[in-house]
Amino acid sequence: MNKAEKSLYEIREMDDLAAGDSPVHRLWPLSKFFVTIAYIITVMSFHKYDLNGLFVYVLYPVVMFQLSGVPVRTFFRKMRIVLPLVIAVGVFNPVFDRDILLYVGKVGVSGGVVSMVTLILKGVFALMASFILVATTPIDDLCAALRMIRVPAVIVSLLLLTYRYIGVLTEEVAIMTNAYHLRAPGQKGIHISAWGSFLGQLLLRSMDRANELYASMQLRGFQGNFYYREGKKARFADILFLVLMIAVFVFLRFFPLAAWIGKLVVR
Amino acid sequence: MIRFENVSVQYDKSEPVLKDLSFHIQKGEKVGLIGANGAGKTTLMNALLGLLPHEGTIEVEGIEVEKQNLPEIRKRLGFVFQNSDNQMFMPTVYEDMSFAPLNYGHSKEQVDRMIDDVLEQLELSELKYRHNHRISGGEKRMAAIATILVMRPHVILMDEPTASLDPYNRRKVIDVMRSFDRTMLVTSHDLDMIVDTCQRVILLSRGRIVADGKTDVILHDKALLEANRMELPFRWSGNRE
Amino acid sequence: MHMADALLSPAVAGAMYVASGTAAGVSIAKMRKEEEQHKLPIMAVTAALVFAGQMINYTIPGTGSSGHLCGGMLLSALLGPYAGFLSMIVILAIQCLFFADGGLMALGANCWNMAFYGCFVGYFLIWRPMMKNKWFSKMGTKAAQRIKIIIASVIGCVVTLQLGAFSVVLETSLSGITELPFGAFCALMQPIHLAIGLVEGLITAAVLVFVYEARPELLREVDTSEGRGVRAKGSVKTVVIVLAVVTALVGGALSLLASSNPDGLEWALFGNKEAGYSENMGLDEEEFGIDSKVAEGAGAVQEKTSFLPDYAFANNDTAAGTTVSGIVGSLMVAGVAALVCFLGGFFKKRKRASKESGTD
Repeated sequence: MNKAEKSLYEIREMDDLAAGDSPVHRLWPLSKFFVTIAYIITVMSFHKYDLNGLFVYVLYPVVMFQLSGVPVRTFFRKMRIVLPLVIAVGVFNPVFDRDILLYVGKVGVSGGVVSMVTLILKGVFALMASFILVATTPIDDLCAALRMIRVPAVIVSLLLLTYRYIGVLTEEVAIMTNAYHLRAPGQKGIHISAWGSFLGQLLLRSMDRANELYASMQLRGFQGNFYYREGKKARFADILFLVLMIAVFVFLRFFPLAAWIGKLVVR
Repeated sequence: MIRFENVSVQYDKSEPVLKDLSFHIQKGEKVGLIGANGAGKTTLMNALLGLLPHEGTIEVEGIEVEKQNLPEIRKRLGFVFQNSDNQMFMPTVYEDMSFAPLNYGHSKEQVDRMIDDVLEQLELSELKYRHNHRISGGEKRMAAIATILVMRPHVILMDEPTASLDPYNRRKVIDVMRSFDRTMLVTSHDLDMIVDTCQRVILLSRGRIVADGKTDVILHDKALLEANRMELPFRWSGNRE
Repeated sequence: MHMADALLSPAVAGAMYVASGTAAGVSIAKMRKEEEQHKLPIMAVTAALVFAGQMINYTIPGTGSSGHLCGGMLLSALLGPYAGFLSMIVILAIQCLFFADGGLMALGANCWNMAFYGCFVGYFLIWRPMMKNKWFSKMGTKAAQRIKIIIASVIGCVVTLQLGAFSVVLETSLSGITELPFGAFCALMQPIHLAIGLVEGLITAAVLVFVYEARPELLREVDTSEGRGVRAKGSVKTVVIVLAVVTALVGGALSLLASSNPDGLEWALFGNKEAGYSENMGLDEEEFGIDSKVAEGAGAVQEKTSFLPDYAFANNDTAAGTTVSGIVGSLMVAGVAALVCFLGGFFKKRKRASKESGTD
């Protein structure tokens, strides 16, 4: 598979996941959206040494993964893109922050190690939350939710149109890449002599495509408005989920649950 | 219904693409527009739809194709693009089908009913909420036809409706075209499809009409077709025997 | 260069959302004013093209590695700054949502770092002035245009990537995420992105020159009048060769300099903050000396906890959660999480089993 085919596969995979059915899929998209945002913000706000406070937050994605039936493996595959930068930044913490923060047994653990782990966990948690949101919400519903919170129509329409044509154009790139490599078997990428023409040809064709697309709009009475399916209506359970989850996140942000549970046992 | 009177189309200062065309299509007529690549078929369609400026007179139901009349003209014409991906830009089949009727001011309930009618008629109901980027080529072509039928146009225009379809889907599209009770203008290289669906054929060559008449007369005329870089329809070519 | 949520504090993320949101608002208002709503299809298709274009690997001559396209400059050259910026936002949003590339809360920062500089700085300060000037006009319109397109693309990509990389450093440092000193972080990020910028600039230039040859009217601010028939000379290939030679020379000179100061990286990482570094070392020693606040704090905690007496903790003011009970609690949470996973798998299996038996 070339890179374009891989990303086509990923788009379809997310599409299929979102088309599934589960209690999480059935939640009102806007509830899910705000809960996800609240989750990420609280996770982000933890102090770099507050590993225990942060760790409790693992429960939300874990429960959601289980309830929604979305495979965790798919998620881990997606982490490869953005996690390296997080690790690259975090990996220097143990070098610079050698202040010993705690001892486990006789081994001192420096602040840098704790803050590195915290940083990586933050990265994983935040990604998990947004992955669950997208993997359980079809793009149309997500966009309807964006419209409801007054994201400008231009952006939402553009998002949907772009999403529609990413599939079409990525497929063309996939085919072109295969065609190129069939005739240049020894090469790993596009040779410099074709740097301009490879994408350039596609670009020119795409401009014609855009004109035809615009013609299709005009011929069907386009007057500057897109009509997308209306957002779903919220049920009582959706509002309850929203309020409850945000309350829980805020509560856990200030109440050291891990320490409290620990004390029950330790004493 | 559709009248072309001395119509010419010219891009920039180059050679005109359409030269002094005149013809008339009656209500209910089904006409095939044929010709080799570059003969001007697509240009003719675009001029009729008001997507290209032209000289001379083009009329649809007595309304002249002019800038201020375009909304009226386009309500009457339904154009099925050759490339369904370019035609259907909305996320799902349902949203694509509702695009035109909502733009023309129908209420949401009305539109829902119109969509269900068309989908039932074409036996496509299971496609309704499918994503346009996830349906097969054949389904896409049928859905594209559905997005046009739901507009209830007086004239249906089609550009290569059977191109790149497998035999099964090609047959399905032909059956649908035969069931239309409306005026229809089709461009195609698929002459067998034209034989199946149109009573009249207009043959274009280098921007001019070289022949205009009954399908079985023109498409049996081997000399005429070959002079214009075309071949007899497969069923009449005698190769099968 | 996509930032993850983890690299930002909520305050910085919010501020970047406001900044990018303002730029988006201005862009939308500008487009509305110029009645460019009809540009939506071309914006969408171009955005999709840039997205798809980033899936192409370009071989960098003379190296084993490959480069990619720079979206911001390409979009602003084709669509102008406002439409380009909005298209870029949409690309970043889709990358973030469907490919986990970036983060939901980091989107504001990513839009700023990658879209704002590429579209606004790249267009107003580099692309447009470059296209408007009369340089190289002796060579004939066409050749001059080609050279100007190449220069604008390369400089544009380098400058916008440098600004973007610098912003990543700034935002991360402001968020208090990394212990990496600001200077060292810069020293790591900027040179890498200089190289990336050069390559991206050349690829972008190649594409834009191709577009210029075929359909010059697609490019913003480009002189589309016919040239005076002078055969165009400035091809991307010659520029690559010239740049390769220059890079080799500069690289050679730099490595000569560096070899006189053998631990260059060490210097970059530690030298800038010599004071801080030695302080850290000092504390390292102190921890064995038991004569410090650290030890006092540890003692205090030990008094409180009768369990696992070998644990000791620094009395760091913010490490509230880091106590024995905290660790034990966290372990239990982990246990609960594992249990949830196990139960989930268990129920799923049962469900499947019951489904299968149901169909029998």
